[in-house]
Amino acid sequence: MERVRLGFVLNGQPQELSIESDTPLLWVLRDVLGMNGTKFGCGMGLCGACTVHLDGVPVRSCSLPINAVANKQVTTIEGLSSNGDHPLQQAWVAENVPQCGYCQSGQIMSAAALLANTPRPSDADIDNAMSGNLCRCGTYGRIRKAIKRAAVGSWEPAEAQS
Amino acid sequence: MSLSRRQFIRNVSVFGGGLTLGFTLSAPGRAEDGAPLSPNAFLRITPEGDVIVQIHKVEMGQGTVTGIITLIAEELEVDPADVRYEMAHVDEAFKDPEYSMQVTGGSNAMRVYYQPLRQTGAAARAMLIEAASRRAALPADLLRCEQGTVVSADGNIRFSYGELVPVASQLDVPQEPVLKSAAAFKLIGKHDQRLDITPKVDGSARFGVDAPMEETLVAVVVRPPVGRGAMTSYDDRKARELPGVHSIVAIDAGVAVVASNYWRARKAADTVTLEWEPGDSLLTDSKAIDAALTAALEGDNLVLVRDDGEPPAAAAAQILEVEYNLPLLAHATMEPMNATVDPNSREVWVGTQAPDIASSFAALGLGVEADDVTVHNQFLGGGFGRRAMPDHVLEAAQIASALGQRVKLMWSREDDTQHDFYRPPMKSRLKARLGANGEVLGWRHNLAGPSLMQSTMNAMTPALAPSWVPDFLTDFLAHMAGRKDDSSVEGAKELPYAFGHIEVAYRNVETPVPLGYWRSVGHSHNAFVVESFVDELANAAGEDPVAFRRRYLPAESRHRQVLDRVAGISNWGDPPAGHYQGVAVHESFHSVVAEVVEISMENGAPKLERAYCAIHCGRVINPDIVRQQMEGGIIFGLCAALKGEITLQDGAVQQSNFHDYPLLRMNEVPEVEVAIIDSDDPPTGVGEPGTPPASAALGNAIFAATGQRLRDLPFKLS
Repeated sequence: MERVRLGFVLNGQPQELSIESDTPLLWVLRDVLGMNGTKFGCGMGLCGACTVHLDGVPVRSCSLPINAVANKQVTTIEGLSSNGDHPLQQAWVAENVPQCGYCQSGQIMSAAALLANTPRPSDADIDNAMSGNLCRCGTYGRIRKAIKRAAVGSWEPAEAQS
Repeated sequence: MSLSRRQFIRNVSVFGGGLTLGFTLSAPGRAEDGAPLSPNAFLRITPEGDVIVQIHKVEMGQGTVTGIITLIAEELEVDPADVRYEMAHVDEAFKDPEYSMQVTGGSNAMRVYYQPLRQTGAAARAMLIEAASRRAALPADLLRCEQGTVVSADGNIRFSYGELVPVASQLDVPQEPVLKSAAAFKLIGKHDQRLDITPKVDGSARFGVDAPMEETLVAVVVRPPVGRGAMTSYDDRKARELPGVHSIVAIDAGVAVVASNYWRARKAADTVTLEWEPGDSLLTDSKAIDAALTAALEGDNLVLVRDDGEPPAAAAAQILEVEYNLPLLAHATMEPMNATVDPNSREVWVGTQAPDIASSFAALGLGVEADDVTVHNQFLGGGFGRRAMPDHVLEAAQIASALGQRVKLMWSREDDTQHDFYRPPMKSRLKARLGANGEVLGWRHNLAGPSLMQSTMNAMTPALAPSWVPDFLTDFLAHMAGRKDDSSVEGAKELPYAFGHIEVAYRNVETPVPLGYWRSVGHSHNAFVVESFVDELANAAGEDPVAFRRRYLPAESRHRQVLDRVAGISNWGDPPAGHYQGVAVHESFHSVVAEVVEISMENGAPKLERAYCAIHCGRVINPDIVRQQMEGGIIFGLCAALKGEITLQDGAVQQSNFHDYPLLRMNEVPEVEVAIIDSDDPPTGVGEPGTPPASAALGNAIFAATGQRLRDLPFKLS
């Protein structure tokens, strides 16, 4: 595979690297840049554990070649808020959402993209936005409550920060 | 500063078996200057005032971090949020007295450690008060602990814990510290904030998969598709030409492709081809397993495990004879198996339910002694029994040993799905005789399936010289040999209903398929069979399923309590229009849980609307963790009932990823409501007991909705 040199912005910080162009963003984040908050679950875009934002849109980073990221803005869980205090993160704490916690970075990133576009989501909106994210511990009910709790407040969407 | 290993060991008692924990606090002795206050291996308080607790029961979502800290903090009078925690290393002090191993499983952490962890906190509290008494020249009964300080009755004198440590750490540890009365509890039964959430919402939580990457190579393994079939040759010529590939080595499990990152290793691995020998015993498929189970039930070698009452004299008015079938199931933890091993420092980074087994297998792979290995346990991205098995640790150690360099082994989702230790397949045949008034005169339950104990022991001691087998395993084997392997019949044998004559019989059927412990183990299959068939009897008797069960349950039983409670919260018998309810009740891990599942029918398929749950688990430590475990346990059970099925063809698992081994998603799950019975009884399990009743409650709801009785999992409506 052809090696490419490219740049993108990760959580507000410019990045430059040279790597095979088909390398999924997930492995650039985890193995090259040491950003471990984004998780590997399936490698096929089926579980959502690797969800990040690409120019504000939720994407499955395990299936997104780094080529597609060139010159774009990537936001990961580490960049969602400066102190872990995004309203969704606060709501996740208030509702005791996580159990094992492995899928929760991806869940929160999917939820953040939902609220950025739909500040008062209906149950159907939540189903649509969140059904690509699997949770083996079965925390779905609490995720739904936490999204609604966060939606009650008001805040600047995370993408506006970077 | 931490206690030396020698000191840890000196502090440890010899645990006896049974429920009484032979737990002791440190023997009298003088600590070094500057030492922390440490009544035993579980707790230390530093001169700087840090309170640090060892998490010996691993955190895989079930809430042990919060539970352990709650118990110690209650007696120690500190804010749980101020307590630091560390994942415990392997140590004699942390061996579970019921298993003779340092293992997390069987939903027993709070049940077994409720007293010892409180004693730990209470001993430290007594030592701090004694130290303050000496410092202030006041009698101890004029001092009390409050919010991390010792304060005098008049409030004029106050010491922080840290400043008392130099004196307190020199005191003898009281052997029978006075515990708080339940009426004085501030945390137990009340504390509801999980203590491990912050790192799990900001991306900083470290799982095994997040082990340090500095100077670490990434390995993936190409394996024979059949069980753990033997590779005979491989062709890696293409792979060696690919960028970033560091080395390719053969190990027992297959060929390890090692590269500078996962993607490079994976891409190179995809070009490697294998030749392999299935071995006769590994040639098996789902049809052959089913035929073997049928043959076992039709033979006459069943072992009677229960025979109560006399065969009835009265002639039966109705006889029901049915067969139930349950498939193999994968665990499908969200975090695929992985392990990182440094062959030089002999360190292992892994999320494991059994760190002593992990250290022994790492030692085997590295060719060193288990005592030389340090296991850094991490958060587990799901366990459910899968992470008690050490296969991935052995693989990582073999690769690291071959390379002489630190290696992170990563399994793909496909590896994880196709090389699991599966929940055993089971077949049950039941026969019941009912009298003229619908009374149950006789119940006969015959089961056939493989023995989990036999299978896991085979996996634990493969081709190992007896000298290698570590003491804890021989202890464990001896312990288990002394009591039958009940995992196949648990939950069937203990049928709680007062039927006229009850017989339960079992036939062990060996299979070469690797098998393992799956959340709630035997209860996961037997609750489905028993509680579905009880529903069939209620229907045959023309009686309401709740009323029928009540009639055969002892009046004061916990079964009745939870059944009545769940009937109440679910508005049993009067669901919303178009909704249908099913009920089930089951005891497991010393707790009793009743569930009602409410469905509607949409395009001929059940839609999960709501689930209701009532649990009796003795004294509750963290109520919201009980609710979480019920919510998650129910969804785990419903997921298996609707979707879970691993099939084998010519010995190979046919499923590979979440498209063909699907899990329930956000749009498919019911709302869950949980009620907890108030109780002063000792705490009992919560991690697993929510799962067993769920599949039966759903099947019973489907019967209520459609009149179809589904006796095979996963449910397939015709």
